[in-house]
Amino acid sequence: MVESWVVATLARGLAFAVPLLFAALGELVAERAGVINLGVEGMMILGALSAFVVADASGSPWLGVLAAAFVGAAAAFFHAFFSVTLRANQYVSGLALTMVGLGLSGLWGKAYAGRPLAHPLPKWDVPLLKEIPWLGPGIFSGQSALLYLGFVFAFLLWVFLYRTRGGIHLRSVGENPAAADALGINVYLVRYLAVLFGGAMAGVAGAYLSVAYRPSWTEGMTAGMGWIALAIVIFAAWDPLRAVGAAFLFGAFYHLAYRFQAHLAPEFLKMTPYLFTILFLVLSALGKGVRLGAPEALGRPFVRGER
Amino acid sequence: MRKVWLAAVVVLGALAFGQQEVKAGWIYVGPIGDYGWTHAHDVGRKEAEAAFPWLKTSYVESVPEGQAGSYIDQMVRQGTKVIFATSFGYMDAVLEAAKRYPDVIFAHATGFKRAPNVATYMADFYQVYYLNGLMAGALTKTGKVGYVGAFPIPELKRHINAFTLGVRTVNPEAKVLVRWIYEWYNPAAAKEATEALIAEGADVFAFTEDSPTVVQVAAEKGFPSFSHYSPMLKFAPDYVVSGQLVHWGTIYKDFLAKVYAGLYTPKNLEDVDYWWLLPQGAVELGADFGVPVNPKFAGRLKAKAVDHPIFGEISVYDLVMKLHGLMKDVELAFDPFQGPIKDRKGVLRVPEGLRLTKHQLETMEWAVEGVVGPWPNEPK
Repeated sequence: MVESWVVATLARGLAFAVPLLFAALGELVAERAGVINLGVEGMMILGALSAFVVADASGSPWLGVLAAAFVGAAAAFFHAFFSVTLRANQYVSGLALTMVGLGLSGLWGKAYAGRPLAHPLPKWDVPLLKEIPWLGPGIFSGQSALLYLGFVFAFLLWVFLYRTRGGIHLRSVGENPAAADALGINVYLVRYLAVLFGGAMAGVAGAYLSVAYRPSWTEGMTAGMGWIALAIVIFAAWDPLRAVGAAFLFGAFYHLAYRFQAHLAPEFLKMTPYLFTILFLVLSALGKGVRLGAPEALGRPFVRGER
Repeated sequence: MRKVWLAAVVVLGALAFGQQEVKAGWIYVGPIGDYGWTHAHDVGRKEAEAAFPWLKTSYVESVPEGQAGSYIDQMVRQGTKVIFATSFGYMDAVLEAAKRYPDVIFAHATGFKRAPNVATYMADFYQVYYLNGLMAGALTKTGKVGYVGAFPIPELKRHINAFTLGVRTVNPEAKVLVRWIYEWYNPAAAKEATEALIAEGADVFAFTEDSPTVVQVAAEKGFPSFSHYSPMLKFAPDYVVSGQLVHWGTIYKDFLAKVYAGLYTPKNLEDVDYWWLLPQGAVELGADFGVPVNPKFAGRLKAKAVDHPIFGEISVYDLVMKLHGLMKDVELAFDPFQGPIKDRKGVLRVPEGLRLTKHQLETMEWAVEGVVGPWPNEPK
């Protein structure tokens, strides 16, 4: 009984966490460079559609994932151009990206709606590890390969951010772009790359939905997950490893909302992660032992030579 | 017979009124590619258009329930004379529009409010659900059948109750576990609800949601399921047992032919209420047209015998076929809601020897014994 609860919560929480994790990791990198991108939802949905279209036409789901990364990055390019080069308001530019992405994908996706994908992304059982009691069936069997890729990405990003010169450059651009500029770091280039990376990851997050999680295209299928990813970035305090835990937490609550439906209002469980996020923000604002660690220059356009 | 009569009416009408054109418009709540509700209505629209050379049709899709009014205005401006509004939530907007445009004929699906120029129509599944329930009861090994529901409204409650009555006819101890997703169309929610039911031990699945998600998730785990609304056999040929299919075209053709013939006018629709079931051919049993039961499950259904009050010792397969025949060919020869039926709180809801009226069916809020799970608005 306990085992079935633990296993199901692990397995379903992780399955639902994959798109959140990818989108959050991408956004985390963009925000570390000082650019907030509220267009995650829009980039995700464009990724979902392009992944489905390419996977459907080519028969290869991995090609679909790749296409989604490209399309996500292409969508992010607009945000980078507006917010970094033109120094437009980042919030407005990101929101516009979300709306345009939802609209365009709905328009272009009409012909693909309701059609099943013949070759979805396969599920992986990890040899040996899947034999571990509880954890085996919960984490290491029947999950998409993208889940493990997400773990690897999170770890590599953590190494990159905290253990490499490139990571220091990225963080310094987000903390104090003027100082970074004085040190000879190309602030614009770093910000562009970070935003493009964020877009590619959001695209992959969308691809997971349309070629793995439920292999088909549906208008508006991201259903607000892009916004959850933004909350996860804050909840994870801009730390890639914490993002794994945060994404799992949101996924697990989503699953439990259905398990507990007989006893608890589902709305309550679905809003619980957001409550945690707000609580976390409040605690950090009060300085109660929680360090938020938002990049200092987050949301502020950089103008060379201005302080 | 019905067809001959209909043809006669059309010919007479055409002679009497001359070859005028009828412009009909459909307001859809979802995208026509949803593979569920809206898709099925659109199939019906196309069927009607193909059948009648004098018919011109148009449609708008994904119309939010609160905004139906302005879309109706637009259709009327384009000269549309007959408007089909295909979601319950359009009800008040349709009645308001009917007052604004007294010369336009409106037909509202699933609604219960009518006016001189507003008819209502519904193709209901409750008989088919009962038959599916019989099969589900025979196929469950854990004694737990999972049901993923969209909204806890009387329509779904009636269907789940009929389904559960079927399950318990074959398997008196079995339970039907219900989870709601509070959306008509949300594949991700349907998937997680199904996974939650699997974790609770359910091993046969039925649902109300406009995508084949539940069928696909169940098939992945090797569990049988019943398709909903559109033919879903092809999504999991080895695992879909049966299901419910709709033929909105039968209603649309009947209605439009009568409009064309001058039988239906914007003055006389107050009592026009289609409540079409198996006998009228508005609904069909099966996961694909013409396949009432997936042959792959025939063996298991024939192997399971029940002691039935009417037929005595009989296999589930034969029972399904017999009752299907009775409900299909002879109106009211058999009805799933045949008393005595108690709700799950022990209150007698259908007394011995009685059946429910259409109104009682349409406003059903109680749950039969065997339904497990949340049931909003359940009477005390």
